Order: sequence, then structure tokens, then C-alpha cells
Amino acid sequence: MKRKKVILIISTVVLVLMAAGALYIYKEYNRTHKDTAEVKADYSVAATQLIKNFEKDEQSSNQKYWDKVIQVDGRVKDIIKDDRGFYSVVLGDSSAMSSVRCSMDSIHNKEAAAVQKGSHAVMKGICTGFNADELLGSDVILVRCVVDLKK
Amino acid sequence: MKTRLLLLCASTLLVTASFGQKYFTKSGKINFDATSPSSPEKIEGVNRTVTCVMDSKTGNMQFAVLMKGFEFERALMEEHFNENYVESDKFPKAEFKGIIDNNDKVNYAKEGTYPVTVKGKLILHGETKDVEAPGKLIIQDGKINATAEFNVLLGDYKISIPGLVADKVSKTAKISVACSLELLKG
Repeated sequence: MKRKKVILIISTVVLVLMAAGALYIYKEYNRTHKDTAEVKADYSVAATQLIKNFEKDEQSSNQKYWDKVIQVDGRVKDIIKDDRGFYSVVLGDSSAMSSVRCSMDSIHNKEAAAVQKGSHAVMKGICTGFNADELLGSDVILVRCVVDLKK
Repeated sequence: MKTRLLLLCASTLLVTASFGQKYFTKSGKINFDATSPSSPEKIEGVNRTVTCVMDSKTGNMQFAVLMKGFEFERALMEEHFNENYVESDKFPKAEFKGIIDNNDKVNYAKEGTYPVTVKGKLILHGETKDVEAPGKLIIQDGKINATAEFNVLLGDYKISIPGLVADKVSKTAKISVACSLELLKG
């Protein structure tokens, strides 16, 4: 009688654990990306300063900013809409070749479309690194960007 | 005297024509597809922040792409791609340097679709390998739409696929490139 009870308890525990495990795997597997708008920025920096940091020392800047959520503010140099309707907002000093390029998250396209060229904007996105190019000008690249309306 | 003037005109024309022959984009697209035939779901990422420069005179082409910029639908897939496969923290950038093999067949002054073959070296995951890819240049409204598709054997770049997901993740990845190139002024 006692033994039966023990077996029952153990098998219940095992079953519950297995169900929890399966649920966890299922959830983890189907996990989508967090909306950048809902994520707190790790760093907040001016576009021109961010460019300067990377130009001065790419390696240490990469260590600091890579894969981090960054809030960047600056003048909008350009807004590009590609043939599939994806937006990029380019921030920086309009007289300089270098910029911060923000590839917009498509669920925030409406906000991107409202951004005015020449205006001041605050963007938030995930830094993927720095593309140094003497001919084209160097860029700090952010992806999954949103217009930071909260500021 | 007349011939001299003509020659001068012709050479000035030639000089001006050889200027401004670089085309570029900073928002090119690269698709990475490693869906194995037996996989029930797509294993696919896209990068929309590709830099590309090409010289229409020489046919030289150059691509640079930040690996962390590949976006996957599933967060877990993207994390695995970055952490386990391409190790984008150690090798943040992939590059391609090459040349259009049949550049003389492309008339950049005339709108149309031109099939091309691009040959060059791809640096990915710290490994350099020769790549040859068929592609297309569509010249329209002063812009060049460049597309190409090729396969890379992940093993060539020392990217290993764990046995657990070997039935889902293909050993070769299909890479599709699409860039809308504009004339570089300056």
C-alpha cells in the first residue's frame, strides 16, 4: 500500500516536470523578438558622438555597444524606403560622410514614414557594428529600430 | 585643326565617361537560407544593411555585411545563428571581394538585363574561400539592380551543425543577394 503511494507520487511529479519542460521548450522555440520600443536602452548617445567613438576605437566601441540597445539622437540626413517598403533612417552631421544608419523594424513603419528629413529624431535600435569605408563614409549600424517617442 | 579639336572633344568625353562609374548601396539585402529539404520549417534570415560598391569600368565588386544584422523570425533561431554557427561576436563581419567575369558584355549606358558571372573571395567566419556566382544586372533609370544567388558549404567555413538539428539545418546555405545600386557622386 505504501509502495503504491510512493510510485503514484513519483510518477505525478515526473509527469508534471515533463509537461513543464515541454511547455518551456514550446514557448522558447516559438519565442519572437521583443519589440525594441518596449525594451529599455542600455546606452543613450548623440549620433555624432557614437560615430566619433567608433572612428576612434572600433574594437572597444564594439565591445561596449555591440548587440546592445542604443538610443541615438541626431539630425535626420536621409530616409530611404526600399522597393519592399522597408525604411532606413540615416542620422548624423549632414556635412560629414559618416552616419548612424537605423534599419527600421517593419512593424514600426508608420513612425518611420512620419520622420522628416532635416528634423531632429530620437531612434532606438540594436547595434550590429561599424562599417568603415573611406570611399562611402563609415557607418554605425542599428537594426530593429523604432522611433523613440518616449524620449 | 579640326581633327585636333575632334580628338580633344573625344578625349574629354572619354575622361568624363570614366568618372563617376562607381555604383553603391548601403541598404542592400542578403538572404540566408539553410532550410534542409526534410525540415518542416524555414531556416531563413535576412540582412538589409549590406554595403556594396561596384566599378562599372573594371567590374570590381565589394560587399560588406555585419553578421549580427541577420534577422530571423524566431528569436531562438537568431541566437543560435549568432552564438553557435557564425559566432558573430568573434567574426562580426563577412566580406566579398570579386569581379564581374564578363563585364565587357554589359553595356552600362543602355537599359536592359544582363546576365553576369561574379568570381571572387568570400570571407566568412574567419575563413576565406573562392566563390563563383551567376547573377543579373538590370540597368534602369540610371540605377543598377544587382542580384545573385549561390550556395556555400557551411563546412568550408568551419561552421558545424550539431547532430541534434542536422535534419533541419542544411549543410549548404543558399545565399541570395539583391542590391539596388546608385551612381556615386563626387
